[in-house]
Amino acid sequence: MFQERVKVLWNTLECSGYYRIGMQSNPGYSRAKPGQFVMVRFPDEVTPLLRRPFSIHRLILHQGRTAGIELLYKVVGTGTEKLSLSRKGDGLDLLGPLGTHFKIPENTRRVFIVAGGIGVAPMFFLSATLEKAGVDLTESRIFIGGRSRDDLLCMNDFISVGMRTVHLTTEDGSAGLRDLVTTPLERAVAERAPDRIYACGPLPMIRAVAKIARRYRAPCQVSIESLMACGLGACLGCAVEGADPGKYLHACIDGPVFEADRLNL
Amino acid sequence: MAQAPDLSVRIAGVPLKNPVMTASGTFGYGREFSLLVDLNRLGGIVVKGLSLEPSRGNPPPRIAETPCGMLNAIGLENVGIEAFAAEKLPYLQTLSTPVWVNIYGKSVEAYARLAERIQEIEGIAGVEVNISCPNVKSGGVAFGVDPQAAHAVIRAVRERTDLPLMAKLSPNVTDITVIARSVVEAGADAVSLINTLTGMAVDVENRRSRIANITGGLSGPAIRPVAVRMVWQAAQAVDVPIVGIGGILTASDALEFLIAGASAVQVGTANFVNPRATLDIIDGIEAYLVRHRFTSLTDVIGSLQW
Ligand SMILES: Cc1cc2nc3c(=O)[nH]c(=O)nc-3n(C[C@H](O)[C@H](O)[C@H](O)COP(=O)(O)OP(=O)(O)OC[C@H]3O[C@@H](n4cnc5c(N)ncnc54)[C@H](O)[C@@H]3O)c2cc1C
Ligand SMILES: Cc1cc2nc3c(=O)[nH]c(=O)nc-3n(C[C@H](O)[C@H](O)[C@H](O)COP(=O)(O)O)c2cc1C
Ligand code: FES
Repeated sequence: MFQERVKVLWNTLECSGYYRIGMQSNPGYSRAKPGQFVMVRFPDEVTPLLRRPFSIHRLILHQGRTAGIELLYKVVGTGTEKLSLSRKGDGLDLLGPLGTHFKIPENTRRVFIVAGGIGVAPMFFLSATLEKAGVDLTESRIFIGGRSRDDLLCMNDFISVGMRTVHLTTEDGSAGLRDLVTTPLERAVAERAPDRIYACGPLPMIRAVAKIARRYRAPCQVSIESLMACGLGACLGCAVEGADPGKYLHACIDGPVFEADRLNL
Repeated sequence: MAQAPDLSVRIAGVPLKNPVMTASGTFGYGREFSLLVDLNRLGGIVVKGLSLEPSRGNPPPRIAETPCGMLNAIGLENVGIEAFAAEKLPYLQTLSTPVWVNIYGKSVEAYARLAERIQEIEGIAGVEVNISCPNVKSGGVAFGVDPQAAHAVIRAVRERTDLPLMAKLSPNVTDITVIARSVVEAGADAVSLINTLTGMAVDVENRRSRIANITGGLSGPAIRPVAVRMVWQAAQAVDVPIVGIGGILTASDALEFLIAGASAVQVGTANFVNPRATLDIIDGIEAYLVRHRFTSLTDVIGSLQW
């Protein structure tokens, strides 16, 4: 875990409202795992006051070494708006890598990845590690859903790491199937359940995916969002309801990636 | 080169190597920050508020950012005094930094039993008593807003322990000096202030409070001027050391409190914003003393010109 002042390497518009920001980071990020996140602060500023959490979208390699990280983010409020105005060379205060990560147990051959909207952010990093972990990319699938065409991100990136089957859905039908992402997912799972499902996206989507996983007995890991102040397990602001009603789980240290059945979704 | 200035102070008889402590509930049980902060450099660590039994806390959402601050209604989620002693304290005992236990209860009896238990546990430098909790017996009004109730709590703790005792005051009162006098009279060796100011924020799109508990405690730079004012008033009213808390992000913020009459400070919300804040503040205070040619921090404490 590192807290460091880093320089922005690039910050580019991906499509309307979505940006990619590259920044330098400690070489120790080579040990960061898919699903882990960072907390970003604008140095010395009090608006916004608190750090903002973002998943690691990918590691930036330079001559084979980890030289930085890239985040994929959507502008939704003050903090992300301000981030979208950063330029190459600007300084940011970076804290990370934080939290739990997606696990790929041995003998995992066939996986389904489900991403809703900005939920694709950690999934690209995940997809880039699958092959090394022994997963068969030709048999695996990714399901990407969004409100409309502009909310479908990174399709080509998943192809570029070797994934073959990409299912696209939009709520307005402007691209792919006009449906929720869970419809083609359920069809595919029913046909033949994968060894594992990984999901990240809005809570209603996570709920629906977890339900499908349970019905077809497929192990499922989900990444969830919560408001966070510290990211370190200190403020207890990020409480989420777990299967044990006696105590809350904390998204920043027990998560953000959970086995779906540990959560009370 | 001149000698390095002396930053040490004494709070309730406990010697601190510098005046910078962590505020309860913002630094976990210390270890959460151990990869980022050399905990041995801190003046003191105050742990998350502890109750007799483990407590689940409030439902989410528990936090919301507000202009230059944040609201929280964590609901005092904690592992309970026994799990603290068994699982958290052993690590803290490996440090050279004094550890203060922060306690709360919903009745005078609960505070008394906590004090009794803490008296038996080794390795605790002092007790900070959070009196901002609702008093179940008097219909949920906080102990800390009623001078008699505050007196009763501190007296009960005083009778059960001879550990250094710091009373943590609530700012949600009309006259802070009345409460400050009352806890000192009951036997507090020091007072710390302020706890959070009760606040509320509404999401106008869905017309719901942004916090599930509806109201929460406001902290961060937004409350600093109120906190400095209350420290100044308390310093005029009582003779025990005062620990200033509220919106401290930088050394200059901390110095405001020290100049207004605090002998030490606690850093809270800043730990979330900048986990290294405490260390930056210690270095900054030292640099200030050098720049102003003070040989000791005691030259600055209560040095407000007026
Ligand atoms: C572990 C984790 C990983 C995340 N990864 C990404 C990512 O890779 N890319 C990305 O674009 N976003 C990600 N988010 C969400 C991102 O943190 C929020 O969008 C951001 O904090 C909003 O800040 P803001 O100041 O722009 O919005 P604000 O002005 O603070 O709020 C605007 C809206 O966003 C909501 N919001 C604020 N903070 C959060 C939050 N922490 N989580 C969910 N909703 C929030 C508010 O309720 C409000 O409706 C992640 C969140 C978590 C917890
Ligand atoms: C998330 C959070 C949790 C807190 N928990 C406690 C607590 O358990 N006991 C307590 O006495 N004060 C608690 N406080 C109050 C702080 O210790 C401090 O008095 C207050 O936040 C003002 O200081 P600040 O502006 O530097 O944060 C908490 C504050 C925050 C923000
Ligand atoms: S964000 Fe502070 S405990 Fe999780």
